[in-house]
Amino acid sequence: MTADAFLFWFLAIVTLGSGLSVILLSNPIYSALSLAMTMVGISALFVTLNAYFIAGVQLIVYAGAVMVLFVMVIMLFDLKSDTVAFAKGKFTGALKVASVGLLAGLVVAAIDLSKGLIGVKDGENHLVALGDMEATKSLGRILFQKYVFGFEALGVLLLVIAVGAVSLARSKGGTHEH
Amino acid sequence: MGHDIFEITVNGIKLVLIFLLMVQAVPMLVWLERRGSAFIQNRFGPNRVGPLGLLQLGADAIKFLTKENFVPTSAKKALFYAAPVFALIPGAVAFSAIPMATPVYIEAFEMFGQNWGPYRFLVQGYEIGVGIVFILGVSSLAAYTILMAGWGSGNKFSLMGALRASAQTISYELALGLSIVGVIMMFGTFNLTEMINAQQGPLTFKWMEYTVTANWLPNWGIFFQPLGALLFFTATFAESNRLPFDLAEGESELVAGFHTEYGGFKMNLFFIGEYAHMMIASGLMTVFFFGGYSIPYFSVADVQAWALSVTQSEMSASILSALLHFLSFNIKFGFFLWTFIWVRWTLPRFRYDQLMDLGWKTMLPWALANTIITAFIIYFATI
Repeated sequence: MTADAFLFWFLAIVTLGSGLSVILLSNPIYSALSLAMTMVGISALFVTLNAYFIAGVQLIVYAGAVMVLFVMVIMLFDLKSDTVAFAKGKFTGALKVASVGLLAGLVVAAIDLSKGLIGVKDGENHLVALGDMEATKSLGRILFQKYVFGFEALGVLLLVIAVGAVSLARSKGGTHEH
Repeated sequence: MGHDIFEITVNGIKLVLIFLLMVQAVPMLVWLERRGSAFIQNRFGPNRVGPLGLLQLGADAIKFLTKENFVPTSAKKALFYAAPVFALIPGAVAFSAIPMATPVYIEAFEMFGQNWGPYRFLVQGYEIGVGIVFILGVSSLAAYTILMAGWGSGNKFSLMGALRASAQTISYELALGLSIVGVIMMFGTFNLTEMINAQQGPLTFKWMEYTVTANWLPNWGIFFQPLGALLFFTATFAESNRLPFDLAEGESELVAGFHTEYGGFKMNLFFIGEYAHMMIASGLMTVFFFGGYSIPYFSVADVQAWALSVTQSEMSASILSALLHFLSFNIKFGFFLWTFIWVRWTLPRFRYDQLMDLGWKTMLPWALANTIITAFIIYFATI
């Protein structure tokens, strides 16, 4: 086994293991910490693909900022009653069955759609050919020229989500009710 | 890592050495901090144990190691033990990516009946193309160790301290990241070594078709990005939880913040983590704004040519130039570390709302303005 293959299998096992523990652990804090570990693993996998910039941004944005906020918020709640409500009951049982069905559908569709994609490796990694700064520059050009509408729309979507979350929290029955 | 067993071994040893270098610098900094604070406050400081109180460090280490291993009953054991260990990782990994001197060239030689080399070893743990993005990404993971420690301790003061500390770290990360966007645009690279190479020679401004050269100043980043440097250095104080931003501890309100329940060697590991953040900040400050390892008024190429003329051998010339540059790096590096200590004993602590106001309402807008102005100037200067 070459060093690259070893690295890939090691990182894949770590990432998948921590990804699984996100859903298998009953304590939400451990789940959130496992999710952070998954992000770090994905970032390391990007490094093995020579996509250094994406790896760094993945670390800064997801692992370093978004997940920290999640963990912080979860730590502030008293989660004993929520854990029981989440783990038992007919409604959550139905939700679980539905999610299993959705996941199964996703897996089947992913395998079906990726036929012909897996196993094809032309040996040329285009990001390597470009170099780090050039790869980042071309990423910037693609984001801000070709897909600028989608990029801006995503920004607006995030703003809508933020406003929606605040208004939900302030509405009747919310956590910050007036 | 390398092409053959010799290169891999040397690179592995180098990683360990840089980690030890970082850990060994901590007791010296602690001594400097205690003597320095005493000097600033017109006291004596530790001066009883050994000459100048230097053996106090050894005494402290023995005390840390022999303390009782204590875990509160309400603590989550796994997290409580894991947090101090994880506190070391981001600092150590990020510090290894900072270049400290010019590479060392080793000529081909014979050993164990085999031919080896030639080799070129960098005086840094490893080189990463996107150096700065990597360092920022890894050191942003430090917030987890604080949260793990605070929540794992099962103590309200610890949790409050951890929440404060991590909220502060995330808030100042924005200003920190934005303050160096100007530097990245100016040098046009993420690579720290290339940034140092761009800061050689006398100060040279280019504006449209004019070029202004100031021979009496080195070509350092701080003359191009003074605001960026100020914002960056301020944000790193908040990132490493040092005064005037050490709200994480806040003894008067929170006992000792997230490490209230930690004692002995576990506490010591957090301490090393904090100093590691200071070292990363000082190293990056040197690289971005003060020419890195280069010696002012002498470009790296000059020094290498001089070393070659003295030693007459490429290998010893590279070693000599690496030593000189390492010394130059350490002088600048040490100055910023001293500034950290200096500021800590000079300024009082902020109130929490003042801290958040400064981060979000003052530093973030200024950092954004700096980015936009830099972008405009670069655009017009290169028309």
